[in-house]
Amino acid sequence: MQLIKRAFKTWMLWELVKGLALTIRYLFKPKITVEYPEERTPLSPRFRGLHALRRYDSGEERCIACKLCEVVCPALAIVIESEEREDGSRRTTRYDIDMTKCIYCGLCQEACPVDAIVETQHFEYASETREALYYTKEMLLDVGDRYESQIAANIAADAKYH
Amino acid sequence: MTTLFINEEEVTVSSGTSILEACRKQGVDVPYFCYHPELSVAANCRMCLVEVEGWAKPAASCCTPVGEGMRVTTQSEGLSKDREMIMEYLLIHHPLDCPVCDQGGACKLQDYTEEHGAEHGRYKELKRAVVDHNLGPFVSTCMTRCIHCTRCVRFADEIAGTGDMGVLNRADHMRIEGVVEDALASELSGNLADICPVGALLDKPSLDVSRPWEVKRHKSTCTQCPQGCDIVIESRGDEVIRIKPDHAANEPWICDRGRYVHDAFRADERILTPFIRASGLQAVSWDMAVEKTVSLLKGKRVGIVFSPDWSIEGLTAIRLLHDCVFDDAKVAFDLHRRDMRPFAFEEGFGMTPKQIVDANEVVILGSDLRQRLPILMQGLRQRSLAGKPVTRIGAMNYRTNSELSADALIRPREWPAVIARAMQQLKDLGKTAEGMDAWLSSVSERHEAGKLLADALLSDSCALLVGEEIRSHVDAAALIHGLDLIARASGHGEEGRDARNLIPEGMNASLLSAVFGDVRTSVGDLFDAAHDGELDALLLIGSDPLGDGLFSMQAKRAMGKVPLVQIGAVSGQVSEYADVMLPASAYSEVEGTFINMSGEVRMAEEPLSTVGDARPLWKVMMRLIQGFGMEIPAVDMNEIRASVQSYLPSLREVWAEGVDHTWRMPVARQRDANVLPVGVNPAMPLDVISRYSMYREGAWVRASASLIEAGNIRALDDVLVHPNTLKEAGLTVGECVIRTASGNYTFDVGVRDDVVEGVLFIAKRGVAGDLSCEVMASLGGGQ
Repeated sequence: MQLIKRAFKTWMLWELVKGLALTIRYLFKPKITVEYPEERTPLSPRFRGLHALRRYDSGEERCIACKLCEVVCPALAIVIESEEREDGSRRTTRYDIDMTKCIYCGLCQEACPVDAIVETQHFEYASETREALYYTKEMLLDVGDRYESQIAANIAADAKYH
Repeated sequence: MTTLFINEEEVTVSSGTSILEACRKQGVDVPYFCYHPELSVAANCRMCLVEVEGWAKPAASCCTPVGEGMRVTTQSEGLSKDREMIMEYLLIHHPLDCPVCDQGGACKLQDYTEEHGAEHGRYKELKRAVVDHNLGPFVSTCMTRCIHCTRCVRFADEIAGTGDMGVLNRADHMRIEGVVEDALASELSGNLADICPVGALLDKPSLDVSRPWEVKRHKSTCTQCPQGCDIVIESRGDEVIRIKPDHAANEPWICDRGRYVHDAFRADERILTPFIRASGLQAVSWDMAVEKTVSLLKGKRVGIVFSPDWSIEGLTAIRLLHDCVFDDAKVAFDLHRRDMRPFAFEEGFGMTPKQIVDANEVVILGSDLRQRLPILMQGLRQRSLAGKPVTRIGAMNYRTNSELSADALIRPREWPAVIARAMQQLKDLGKTAEGMDAWLSSVSERHEAGKLLADALLSDSCALLVGEEIRSHVDAAALIHGLDLIARASGHGEEGRDARNLIPEGMNASLLSAVFGDVRTSVGDLFDAAHDGELDALLLIGSDPLGDGLFSMQAKRAMGKVPLVQIGAVSGQVSEYADVMLPASAYSEVEGTFINMSGEVRMAEEPLSTVGDARPLWKVMMRLIQGFGMEIPAVDMNEIRASVQSYLPSLREVWAEGVDHTWRMPVARQRDANVLPVGVNPAMPLDVISRYSMYREGAWVRASASLIEAGNIRALDDVLVHPNTLKEAGLTVGECVIRTASGNYTFDVGVRDDVVEGVLFIAKRGVAGDLSCEVMASLGGGQ
């Protein structure tokens, strides 16, 4: 009996029919494909994308050159140099992140005592040259200026879990 | 000896030791803020509490002496609670600004908060803020961070001796106040930043630049004065951040000159690549520069002037260059020595600093010791505080930070009379030495200051610190011979009781007299020869005769007359005249050996990476020898050291077996240096002395911005006399004509009571610095 059943299935291409039935079922189901870049998936407030240096509302940069991000960075991607600014406050003269080294672990953001260095939800900054991925202080501050509202919203959204 | 138990372990310490010291000796960790091994005990932080069995309350271990059979516990539940409460109390007003505080990462308060502190502070009220002080160019303050341990107050009081800082008010209103706001008038002020356990006092030049975890530490030797302190250079990458004392060494402090000279290592004045002059200075390759040097110097009569501060390997390489290429060249290095006749005791100390501090009597002869050797002066200060005498004879009441038991002001022309008076006294007591009568009979006058000298020499142990006023004297060899005679007559000439210490110009004094003793000449004569056409070219190796020393006038005359090749680390004023400049590595950037004034050997083994194209001096010398077409006598460090050993065989064991701090190189003594004073009738009424300033002398110091700033704050008038001297000449303060053998000059003359009458003090680096080469002068009215 078993033999007859198996011969019947083989000769009738039953597996094929079964497989095609699944295909046909999916053909009529609603699609889950996201049409990137026209469409985007939602991102978590904790998403770790391109870094930004933030400012206070007054326009003063937040970073105080404590260098905790530099020392905590496991990829040694951050280089900071600092000096006393004329008004006596401690500020960076250089704040470089090498995005080709960065592993986007977010430890710099965790370490920062003043929420100056953050990782934004921006991740589309691929370039054709390596040099374009060596971010300087000006570039990072510029990223911060452009995404400040988003960054602030994300930090606010995540605040209750701290 | 007392035996006690610390955490159930038996410990034996000398009686009188505090419990804290016993714990430290045993390696048991007891937290503390206010205790410091070099300072007195204040016991005001209460952090070092320990429990003693049978005692009702915990004891502050820093001020509790050990007792026989005492049972001490350093860890218990009760102590943890006490420490937590003390931390909470200390942190009440401490700002939460660790991320911007330079101390952060190396801060006791931070560490102990982590270890002993509570998780949260309960203090919710407003914190206090305290006004900061301006403590000069070296120390920055943030007094809000202060926890009132009073270490700085005790340092200012006990070590610096300036009493600049004190405590005002109490409780919440307690403040540390600097009494002198502009400049902490101590040459040791940089140590304040080291001893502050929190971030209230910080290093100003390196403020906000680095973090403790970023720096790499290199053990090295300071060559800024003959003391040659052990230092630790903290660097971040190639950049020197700080210089600190090496706490593994004996000396806990270093002076500001050695500490803050580091900004010169990366100053604009550094020579980074070889340069040659062809319508302005042009950077060229080593090959081209060497070729040019050879074309300038080959077959010429050359004068070589070098600085004594290179490593002994570098200095020996200079001798090798001399022997291979310029066999008949004139060589000079001591920018302060006029008299080139051999000295009965050459430059260097017969005693160790510790022996000097422990001696029954110390006599400072003509030296501004606080500026010259600040760390030794610190030792003498501790000695004065302990009630032991320090005597000084000299031309100016140089400001010291300690009480002098006796002080005699004399003029330089009176030195023979002073020594003769001492000699006479010894002779009358039946203490004589061979040659004494001849010396004594050649001086007719006697000066009462000599009694101080003789009295000191009659003591069991005595130290004579012979300074620059004698070393630079025109008749120095005779004076030193006289001092040698009285030292020997009083029994202070033999090994073990040697009292003769001649303060040298710089490091490596004992090596220099061994290696260059037979070829050295006076710097002044060398430049005069160049001016008179007896030399065809000059080779300056690290020396800056335009900026330092007595012979800037001669140097100025000679430069520009003959081609000049400069080899060095910093360019300075000399480079204006240089036809070729070759870069040599700084003392922080070489592996090498140094010998300090007391003959101790110091090795630098962990150099920083050098800047630009600079090479260690010995390599530059070998490259030049090669350029002249000669065979190179040494190709590596071992061969250079073999050459050094041919002059000083005893160094072999030092290099073979490593440095031992007890090993000392003996100072050269020359019994045959039998020179009698010549009684010259002084042609002019005033003696000229050029004054040394630790913030202004030395090519390195002049390249350092922070030391220049300090020098400007501390500068006295460029030309100084006693008010009576001016009155006698019928003059007033202001412009006067100074008549000297070389001509008449007009300068502003200031007055100061500290100066002895009949002496004209010239600041070597001041506007009148060129007059340093003069011995005598007279004053005339302004024009």
